[in-house]
Amino acid sequence: MRYYIYDGSFQGLLTAIYESYYRSAKPEDILPRHRFTGNLFAQVEEIDTDEIKADKVFQAIKNKISPTALRRVFYAFLSEITGVELLIYRYLQLGWKVGRDIDRHLTDHRVAMIHKISQKVGLEKHRLLGLIRFRKLKGEIYYAPIEPDYNIVSLVAPHFARRLSDQNWVIHDRKRDVAVLYNQKEWVMTVLDPGRDYVLAEEEKYCQQMWKNYFRSASVPGRTNLKLQRQFMPTRYWRYLIEKQ
Amino acid sequence: MDLAEKLKILSAAAKYDVSCSSSGSNRQNIPGGVGNAAYSGICHSWTDDGRCVSLLKILFTNDCCYNCAYCVNRITSDIPRASFTPEEVIELTISFYRRNYIEGLFLSSAIYRSEDYTMEQLLRTVKKLRGEYKFNGYIHLKAIPGADLKLISEAGKYVDRMSVNIELPSDRGLKLLAPRKKKEIILKSMGGITSYIDQYKEERKLFKHAPSFVPAGQSTQLIVGATPDCDLRIIKLSESLYRSFNLKRVYYSAYVPVSDDPKLPSITNPPLVRENRLYQADWLLRFYGFSAGELLSENNPNLDLELDPKASWALRNLHLFPIEINKADYRMLLRVPGIGVKSAKRIAAARRVGSLGYEDLKKIGVVLKRARYFITCRGKYYGETAFRPDFLRQKLLDKVPADSGGEQLTMFT
Repeated sequence: MRYYIYDGSFQGLLTAIYESYYRSAKPEDILPRHRFTGNLFAQVEEIDTDEIKADKVFQAIKNKISPTALRRVFYAFLSEITGVELLIYRYLQLGWKVGRDIDRHLTDHRVAMIHKISQKVGLEKHRLLGLIRFRKLKGEIYYAPIEPDYNIVSLVAPHFARRLSDQNWVIHDRKRDVAVLYNQKEWVMTVLDPGRDYVLAEEEKYCQQMWKNYFRSASVPGRTNLKLQRQFMPTRYWRYLIEKQ
Repeated sequence: MDLAEKLKILSAAAKYDVSCSSSGSNRQNIPGGVGNAAYSGICHSWTDDGRCVSLLKILFTNDCCYNCAYCVNRITSDIPRASFTPEEVIELTISFYRRNYIEGLFLSSAIYRSEDYTMEQLLRTVKKLRGEYKFNGYIHLKAIPGADLKLISEAGKYVDRMSVNIELPSDRGLKLLAPRKKKEIILKSMGGITSYIDQYKEERKLFKHAPSFVPAGQSTQLIVGATPDCDLRIIKLSESLYRSFNLKRVYYSAYVPVSDDPKLPSITNPPLVRENRLYQADWLLRFYGFSAGELLSENNPNLDLELDPKASWALRNLHLFPIEINKADYRMLLRVPGIGVKSAKRIAAARRVGSLGYEDLKKIGVVLKRARYFITCRGKYYGETAFRPDFLRQKLLDKVPADSGGEQLTMFT
């Protein structure tokens, strides 16, 4: 088995795809370094992330296949599902062949898989645009903890940068210990220490209570339907919802 | 009275308005401002009844001088009364918005003192929220029917959506249950908003920076089950509202018993299945190219509670089926029970690069549970039953929950 091992970044993956066309040894699997455990028969090709090579592949997907395909590939990458790199690699192999028609090949396994995965990631992104809850901390910072299934924190950041552009905020992915920080000018991704204590602003408890009361009184008693509620808002997201505490 | 108490009263009083959408507006944030609108709309939470919370839905006041029999806030109703000030509404909206609890504000009101006075209060609130507080999130404002059109048109400059509720689908129903609401007055207000929307649209074609007016359009609500009106009348009304007033949405609200007025039907549960069927029929009007006359007729004035309206239509028109999935045009694909807009689009895209077999349909995510009875794939039929309306009906029947069906049929006997 020949493995391509990359550093886990999107640029790293794109570099690996670049290399697969210039090295004689084609990959049978592409893995991020932290997932590679090694085995007796493994022949390893180390991939050094290279911005120029990555950008060439990035532009090629966009121009020779389609911008939509590029978005799907990026979303699928963020799913962090085991084996997604190889699925992306194969999806792109078809893409180079059929170009912008690729998204019509819905019966092709390679296309169907990437569509399915990127849709899941897109759905979670959209859900979290609504389900993220900021808490106001001392010092005028709004803090939102999340634990999404997929690594979508960078996808939701631009939305909040436009919307809440006059406040300082942090969206903290506590599963992956990464966070987006915004300072009323620009947002940056960073690593955030999970153990830190957060002190709420004085009025925060009062505001949360108002919201909880509102949430309770907005339901129509004769129409209770908890199953429907959970269908739209799965319980795994309740942990950080003010109204569900 | 403190703000928390007011919020409790005035949100409880607003929840029977079912409009929830926050879509259709592209409003941008401005420097130093807070908020923008998302064109697709965003749901922020779901309450115990499974309905979404998108906007902070409140009444400005529940102190009403009308006495509509179906309404909790009627003058003779013995309930605590409260009124907000514009500043209180603004404070709540912005502090909820900054925490991402909501997508914006839905502001309605009981009629306090007079239609004009009430509309003035609403106008003052949204004007201040947009101007002084630079709030650019979504605003849905109720227009008070009968208020001066100048007030309504002024308010329309600040909000994303406006609605006037018709509530009762017939003039007779209004006379009986809501004596102070007049059909002509309601329609005049709606027509007024429509013509302003058109006028501003024209101006925006000529001048890029002309102000916007209710960019997400107009909607209304009909109460279902408080009067003996049949589904045909309701769906015909909706169709004409979509056509002549260009409405974005008609909402249907199953009547929830809130009073024991003898003029109202006595029911224990709201007619939820009927409400659901009306929504399905409404979708067929807006997204599937159906007309009201195809779904219902004088001989067949009510929607089948056991079967969705598209399936009922298909069973009445079996001569059009089965259709070949690789050849049928897009409009006909949309008419197959079980095939929605997404599936129809996928089929149309996928068959351009290769013909589709039955297994292929599964692969591209088309649900065949219902559709299989109405299609062929490369000429082969997979329904595994005789192609007769009675057989097919048995295969298609939905399970009807025991708590709803029966009572609705006997309500007015």
